[in-house]
Amino acid sequence: MQPTAIYRALLWCYPAEFREEYGREMAIAFAEQLTEARQARNRSREAFVWLHAAADIVTVAPKEHCHVILHDIRYALRAMASQPAFTAVAILSLALGIGANTALFSLWNGVLRVWLPVRAPEQLVMLTDPDASGVSIGSQNGQRSLLTYAEFEQLRDHAPAFSGLMASQSSLDRWQVRVQGSESEQAHGRLVTARYFDVLGVTPVLGRTFDASGDHTESGHIVISYPYWQRRFGGRADVLGKTITIRKATLSIIGVTPPGFYGETSGQQPDFWAPLRMQPHLIPGRDWLHDTGHDKVMWLHVFGRLRPGVQLAQAQSMAHSVFKSGLETYYGTVSDQRRREFLNQSLLVRPAAGGASQVRRSFSNPLQMLLGAVGVVLLIACANLANLLLARGTARRREIALRLSLGATRSRLVRQLLTESLVLAAAGGVAGLAAAYAFQRGLVWMIRQSDSNFQMRFQLDFAVLAFSVLATVTAAILFGLLPAWAVTKADAGESLKERSQSAPAGQLRWGRLLVVVQLALSVPLLVGAGLLLRTLYNLRNADLGYAREQLIVVRVDAQSAGYDMPRREPLFRELQEKMRRIHGVLASSYSENGLFSGRDSGDEIEVEGYTRTGKNDQGSRWDQVGPGYFSTVGVPILHGREIVESDSAGAPYVCVINEAFAKRFFAGRNPIGKRITTVYGDKRTTHYVAGVAANARTHQLRGEVPPRYFVPLTQPLAEFDGVVFSIRAAGDVAPVLSAVQKAVRLQDAALPVLSAQLLEERLATRMAQDRIMATLALAFGIVALVLVAIGLYGVLAYSIARRQSEIGIRIALGAYPGRVVRMILAETSTLILGGLMIGGFLAIAASRLITSQLYGLAPHDPLSLSAALAIVVTVAVAASYLPARRASRLDPMSALRQD
Amino acid sequence: MNPDPESFLPLQPAVFHILIALADRDRHGYSIMQDVAARTDGKVQLSPGTLYSSIRRMLEQGLIQELSVSPDPTSTDERRRYYRLTKFGRRVAAAEAERLNSLLSQARATGLVAGM
Repeated sequence: MQPTAIYRALLWCYPAEFREEYGREMAIAFAEQLTEARQARNRSREAFVWLHAAADIVTVAPKEHCHVILHDIRYALRAMASQPAFTAVAILSLALGIGANTALFSLWNGVLRVWLPVRAPEQLVMLTDPDASGVSIGSQNGQRSLLTYAEFEQLRDHAPAFSGLMASQSSLDRWQVRVQGSESEQAHGRLVTARYFDVLGVTPVLGRTFDASGDHTESGHIVISYPYWQRRFGGRADVLGKTITIRKATLSIIGVTPPGFYGETSGQQPDFWAPLRMQPHLIPGRDWLHDTGHDKVMWLHVFGRLRPGVQLAQAQSMAHSVFKSGLETYYGTVSDQRRREFLNQSLLVRPAAGGASQVRRSFSNPLQMLLGAVGVVLLIACANLANLLLARGTARRREIALRLSLGATRSRLVRQLLTESLVLAAAGGVAGLAAAYAFQRGLVWMIRQSDSNFQMRFQLDFAVLAFSVLATVTAAILFGLLPAWAVTKADAGESLKERSQSAPAGQLRWGRLLVVVQLALSVPLLVGAGLLLRTLYNLRNADLGYAREQLIVVRVDAQSAGYDMPRREPLFRELQEKMRRIHGVLASSYSENGLFSGRDSGDEIEVEGYTRTGKNDQGSRWDQVGPGYFSTVGVPILHGREIVESDSAGAPYVCVINEAFAKRFFAGRNPIGKRITTVYGDKRTTHYVAGVAANARTHQLRGEVPPRYFVPLTQPLAEFDGVVFSIRAAGDVAPVLSAVQKAVRLQDAALPVLSAQLLEERLATRMAQDRIMATLALAFGIVALVLVAIGLYGVLAYSIARRQSEIGIRIALGAYPGRVVRMILAETSTLILGGLMIGGFLAIAASRLITSQLYGLAPHDPLSLSAALAIVVTVAVAASYLPARRASRLDPMSALRQD
Repeated sequence: MNPDPESFLPLQPAVFHILIALADRDRHGYSIMQDVAARTDGKVQLSPGTLYSSIRRMLEQGLIQELSVSPDPTSTDERRRYYRLTKFGRRVAAAEAERLNSLLSQARATGLVAGM
């Protein structure tokens, strides 16, 4: 290969403009330099010439590229400033699109992907189920979700696979606390073991954390979080040593965690961490530190760090064998068969860089769907911008044609136009970040409607920033490339000759295609919104099996007020009587688990005359209720009778079963008088069926109503600490609600009322996630519709502008305005029909993805689909009608003069 | 109106060399490279990339101009593009020379370099 040919090849590293201007001269200069060196027979000088040429590629060429880019950016900024209205619309729509995408991504990232803000989170493992939380009393088959304190102690002391092991209360509780010298207030806190901070690798910003040896003794210390320190104590250093009183314990503050640290559960920000050994003082009346009887209190998450060199599988087998041998010792005294059942448990050690999360499982699917929907909105916005740019390109055709005829290459112009799109998108992206901050706060606020503990700050971390940059660049390419390509395609000479500013047919075709794409994309969004709105409607109107209105639910906890077992049931009976006497109360009763409280009970059962066939018919859920429970709640009794006052401790043991129970265990047989035996460990309790109640939804809004049986609280299956009163009110419920709370206080001021609200309020919280989904989907649908209307209007307005003379001639020849409108609408209908058809297919394909979110309707719900199509048609026809009507009123003479 | 010559200072060495090369007569690119090499005993060798990148910038700044006809009637090579120093370019070059001269005087006054 000739040296000059090589040099010419190297010249391709320079920007095209520079190469075209100076490439030839440079090649001549290079050739002469080389010839001179060869004539002087100076090898090193020849090498030097080559070296210089190579060095230019890495030093001069990038500088020249920067020069062109800066020039293009300056040009783009001037172009943007010269059309402020267009620029404002473009930046605003991009800001909304990119902002909404970034906000949802940040939330998705924070909920599903983020790692705990602790030292080397990838080394953390978890011995419990990250999605589980709460307190589970009894026993559990299969893989264990939560652990007891005694089990944690065994693992801590006997599993050498871990360099450190700690446990934390799986739920974040809201506590009534009193800071030294202040009134009582509420704060979120969590009980943790002594090595909690040590295992997580957290260094306090002030003071210290718990002694690593503190698990063996009670400690009167408490550690507070940075936000709580700032908010409650103004960030003062003298906070150390101040005391916080929680129930029966007074703890002194010894340290403040660093900013950004929230613990082991993502989405929750505790105000304080208290020593777990203080549980008997902080949660009085309960012993959750020891396993006694057959009931284990499973309430802890357990985290650990693997010892260097230990593999996950090794740790798993080591931890499992410690857990298993603990169970064997614990259930050593029960009969062989029972033991086998109790021992059917396992422990799973899993990586835990992301920690525990209460929202991960429930929000994972919805967030991914919303992310998809908001991505579609951005696509529609990009299609719209592409249309606007096409239209603007039409206006700039003469300028572009002039530059082409002056020798600018097409690639140079495409690069220039794409730079303009990128600058526009960058401005939109920056504004989008600000919008994302606001949107994200709105989303967090919405999530807090369903989970009051949920907290998450908007963090502009690398992933979020990378996402928004990617969204911006993608948007710029999406909306910029097609117009740049289309408007530079025109023949320079033709455009210069053209006098009118109208768009050429090619660009119009692209514009129409973009409108079809927009129409098609908007349909699945609207169908999704329709499906979710109908779901919300169905949930709100779901048949619970009883009237949800004017039902008050109040939870009273007798155990923490110091009532022992024998005194609890009489207390509830007395309270029931007092509530019945309140003005406005129609009926009152109680049950242990209550309605939609999140608590449930279940056990293995043996049903008279029923032979088990599989694994799923070994047990049933149950509840323990007061007299008149069914009539108070309003659940009809289909056969026999309900639980009444005469069902006392001394009377024959009876129960009421629901229809689902009767169907599964008594299919076709008369259940009245049959025995149901509840088996728990070696304990067997038999009740006779006294009645069959209609199926009622008391725990879940979705799914089938499961078999359930109800026993009188006087003939209990297990110990109970409190009950939930159900009070049926007439008229105004507000005075009844406060009178009920007052009645409890008057009975015993020490009795804590843990919750008092209308059942409808509680159900609204349950439906919050569905409400969020429906609201957001509707919002996205409306935005999509507006964008589609703008796009269609724009394309039609331009196409009519281009055909002014044709329309003018038609009108001059006597076409009535109505006929012109019809003609234009008929042409538009092809676009609309095409968009709707593609959109319909897209919607049918996409609706499969949201099946799990729906209630009471199928994903291919014809009503939602036809409603969405009808709305799109209406909006599209309205958007086309305006320009069509304007065209029909054209003055033929002035229209003809135009061209 | 041209901006203040001072606002261009200090000049990049390559730019100053090109201005000096064009001070006595109009030249084409390769001639500039040869002149710079000759005046500096081969110590400064402009590469084609550096030369034309500087020329592009100097044209934009109005320091030099391109000639539409070759100033050398004997030249048969019509491909050559010739450049000439503008009045403004001359003022900028003079300002840079003055700046360097003043620096040199200061160095001499402090005994950093010997006087002539």
